[in-house]
Amino acid sequence: MDQIRMYADASGDYNPIHIDEEFGKKSQFGRNIGHGMMAAATISELMAESFGTAWYSTGKMKMRFRSPVYPGDEIQTSGQVTKSEDITNSNHITCSVVIIRQNDEVIISGETSVTVDKSASDGD
Amino acid sequence: MPLDYSLLKTGNEISDQTYTLSKKEVDLYLEAVQDQSKRKFNESGIELSPPMAIAALSLRGVVNDLQIPGGTLHVGQEMGFKNSVQVGETLRCIATLASNNVRKEWRFMVVNLTVLNSSEHSVMEGKSTIMLPA
Repeated sequence: MDQIRMYADASGDYNPIHIDEEFGKKSQFGRNIGHGMMAAATISELMAESFGTAWYSTGKMKMRFRSPVYPGDEIQTSGQVTKSEDITNSNHITCSVVIIRQNDEVIISGETSVTVDKSASDGD
Repeated sequence: MPLDYSLLKTGNEISDQTYTLSKKEVDLYLEAVQDQSKRKFNESGIELSPPMAIAALSLRGVVNDLQIPGGTLHVGQEMGFKNSVQVGETLRCIATLASNNVRKEWRFMVVNLTVLNSSEHSVMEGKSTIMLPA
C-alpha cells in the first residue's frame, strides 16, 4: 500500500479505490487496487532499457488493463519483438508486451513500437 | 457542484493545465514505480523525464477537472511520445472528450490527451478509456 500511496502522490490520482481501505472493501474487488499506470510503468522501463532514448522520443504504447493489480502482487513484465521494419537509416520495431501476476493471470497486455536509428548502439 | 457527465459532448475540453515536471516530482515518480533503469540524459547532459511520468501528468488534469468519482476504472491507454522532455520543463496538458457512452451500469469515456512543451511542440499524444459508475 505504501507504494500505491506514493504513486497517488506522484500522479495526483487519489481515487479512493486505490487508497481508502474501507472504500476498497466495499468495491467489486473487495479490496484496494493499484493504479494501472503504475504497473504499466514497468513496460516503459523495459522499453527504455532495451531501446534507450529512442523510446523517449519515438515510443508508442497501446494497452488494455485486463485485471487489477492488487497490493502484494508480484508482477512480471515481458516483451517480444513481433516485427522489425527497415526504414531509411532506422528500424521500426514493434513488440507485444504483457504483465502477469504470480498466478499467471494477465494484468495488462498491449503493443509497443519504437523507431531506432541504425547508427545508434543503444540509443543513449 | 458535481458534474453531470451526460452533458459532456465529443470535442468538449475537459482540462487544460500547465505543470512543471521538477526533479523532485520525477524522483518521486521513479521511486513510486520502483524504476531501476538507468537515468537518461540528452546530448547537453540534462536529465530527461521518463515518458510515463509525462503520461501520468497528462492524466492529472483529467482526474481533477473531470471530478472523477471513486470507483472509476482505467481500462485502456494509448500514448505516443514525440519528443523527449527535460527534467524541469513546463508542460501544458490538454484533454478533450472523444466519446461518452453508457453501457449497463457504467459510463465509458474516451479522452484524447495532448501534452505540449513550452515551445508549443507536442511531446505526447494519447487516449485514455475510463469507466465511471453511471
